Amino acid sequence: MFPFVDGFHWTFGHVLFLTVFGIVLAVIAATLMVSLRRTARESKPGRAEAVRWKSEFHDLTGYERRCRHDLAGRVGHRHCHNEFDCRECETHPKLASVTAAEFDFSTYGLDYPVDRFYHRGQTWVKCESDGTLTVGLTDLGKRLLGRPDRVNLPNAGEKVFANGRGWTAARGGVEVRILAPVDGEVIATGGPESEFYLRVKPLEANPNLAHLLRGQEVSGWVRAQLEQLQILVTPAGSTASLADGGVLMEDLPKAQPEANWDKVYGEMFMAP
Amino acid sequence: MAASAMKPPMAAEIAKIERQWIARGLERCSPLVFAGWMAPWLIMLGAGVYASYLCLRYGLGVTALDNRFGFGLWIFLDLAVIALGAGAFFSGFLLYILKWKEIKAVISSAVVLGFLCYSGAMAVLAIDVGQPLRSWFTFWHPNVHSMLTEVTFCITFYLIVLTVEYLPILLKNRRIKQVPSFLVFEWELHKLIPVMAGIGCLLSFFHQGSLGGLFGVMRGRPFAFREGFAIWPTTFFLFVLSAAAVGPSFIILTTKLVEKITSKRLVKEQIYQTLARTTGVLLTAYIALKSVDTLIWLNSTSFNAGFAPWEYYEWKPFGGWILFAEIVVFGMVPALMLLSKRIRTRRGAVVLGALLACAGVVLNRFVMTIQTLALPTLSFDEFMTYTPNWVEFAVFGMVIAYAVIVYSLSYRYLNLFPQEKELSAGNVEVNDVPVR
Repeated sequence: MFPFVDGFHWTFGHVLFLTVFGIVLAVIAATLMVSLRRTARESKPGRAEAVRWKSEFHDLTGYERRCRHDLAGRVGHRHCHNEFDCRECETHPKLASVTAAEFDFSTYGLDYPVDRFYHRGQTWVKCESDGTLTVGLTDLGKRLLGRPDRVNLPNAGEKVFANGRGWTAARGGVEVRILAPVDGEVIATGGPESEFYLRVKPLEANPNLAHLLRGQEVSGWVRAQLEQLQILVTPAGSTASLADGGVLMEDLPKAQPEANWDKVYGEMFMAP
Repeated sequence: MAASAMKPPMAAEIAKIERQWIARGLERCSPLVFAGWMAPWLIMLGAGVYASYLCLRYGLGVTALDNRFGFGLWIFLDLAVIALGAGAFFSGFLLYILKWKEIKAVISSAVVLGFLCYSGAMAVLAIDVGQPLRSWFTFWHPNVHSMLTEVTFCITFYLIVLTVEYLPILLKNRRIKQVPSFLVFEWELHKLIPVMAGIGCLLSFFHQGSLGGLFGVMRGRPFAFREGFAIWPTTFFLFVLSAAAVGPSFIILTTKLVEKITSKRLVKEQIYQTLARTTGVLLTAYIALKSVDTLIWLNSTSFNAGFAPWEYYEWKPFGGWILFAEIVVFGMVPALMLLSKRIRTRRGAVVLGALLACAGVVLNRFVMTIQTLALPTLSFDEFMTYTPNWVEFAVFGMVIAYAVIVYSLSYRYLNLFPQEKELSAGNVEVNDVPVR
């Protein structure tokens, strides 16, 4: 095989053989080495959370990746390929200026105050006058969790990153990670009994919240979420019925314990 | 209430723990049902391991192989599974080189199948060749003029490539990805997978070809001997083309089988149509070239070697029917079925076409190995018959059982079909449901 091994001859056949397979082995080894080196570099807490989001975003279905402008009725079927980060999206400013077709604004009996920004992982953000941001769970999110068995909130002083782990909650033995909607340092924590879950000091002086939903988009998003929820909690073997009227119950796991809540939480809280 | 009654039953507790390893949104059968499914395969695996021990401990004397028939059932199995496992390299080629995005729906399954086919083939080779502790010798002192050496190197390196490609799929398991380093490594490795796919294509092209080539260069076996271009006989190119043709068909068959067993839809119909069309196009090209090659062999090569070609088909059971079956029944018929959109879109046509195509290539590998060795080539030679014994069948079964077990575990705990979650949502392709 090698020049120092008995049987090797400096002939075209031997040299070609050694060269070709040497290159193949070198490429395989280099691929692994580069991956390991990048892993060592990217494994810091904030970076790892960013990578987790990128990885999990690609596991979302086309329906879950619908563009905010699709939800708002500004454009036809459009999927996001930008990890829902409209701050980096070149198309977002163009589509944001499009006037949507006639669209009834409704949140279907759920409470989605207009002074807040919404993240698709069922959280909201409210800008406070002192420059801090309050983060809470949406009305649908609260109804999905009902009365959680356990909530693990970050400690004051810890940093959270947009689309990274905000906090975790558990209900009926199913644990779910709630995504943080913004980058910031936690300065206070609330909980299920409180109005909010986190109060954070943004990492930048003027945080860009362009990646969060608001206005018409919220209406379209809530409708899509309710449609998805209806499919998810429909018992196997039956077809989702489109109920009209009425408001979603306060504690859904209690109302429908037989549903697959592991699956429901995974899809509704974007934790595949 | 008594304390024992308050505890959840053990089965429910196991199911709850196991659920943490199954990707969210995927429905799987209960651990008990899964254990019942695995039990017969584990027994088959155990029997094969025992038979392998006998071979390694006492040599090939415990099999029906002998000096005249040194290659038998196992080498046929090797060639067949390597051809069928070509779906891994070919789907990688379609996705990463030709950018056919829709192939993403089956690429993970194709990689697992490829890994199983190649690792199974390597295991059987280790038993067939024997003395596995001395296998390093092949690599350290290679005969660079042998096609078999090239096959050995390519298959070994390709198995390494497939293992690297399998890693990201494995690391995406729900529990494993909770470890940040694993998750990041999976992500970083996944970004470089196109490089692996490219290397895989190169290695597959050469070892698939060389597997055909090593029969085509045997002047002493005029039934298999073919002329060709430079150092490569025509069988080199026919093996590459036939493997690429049936790779997508094998993916269709396995996916449909898993769908049938689990009563779930795993990929959209459009994907099956794409794979079927791909097989149709490549199989047509293969059958056309094989027909030309056979005609040249019938009219020239065989006579030049001193044999009238029809003499080969006088040895029963290998009559002329085998040639007809290979080219017409398992070649032209599936090629036409999968090429024509009108036929392909009929219920069951894709599965039947894919089944015939795979059977055709398996038959071709049987002809190249078993029939080639059975036919006499010298005036004092006799037609040899060969029937594998239980040891050979047990080892054969071991490879099948190993593949079923690993694939079942992969399907259960890894997200092999990204469209499964979407398709299981009320059995509606929600992606296509108009929302306004």
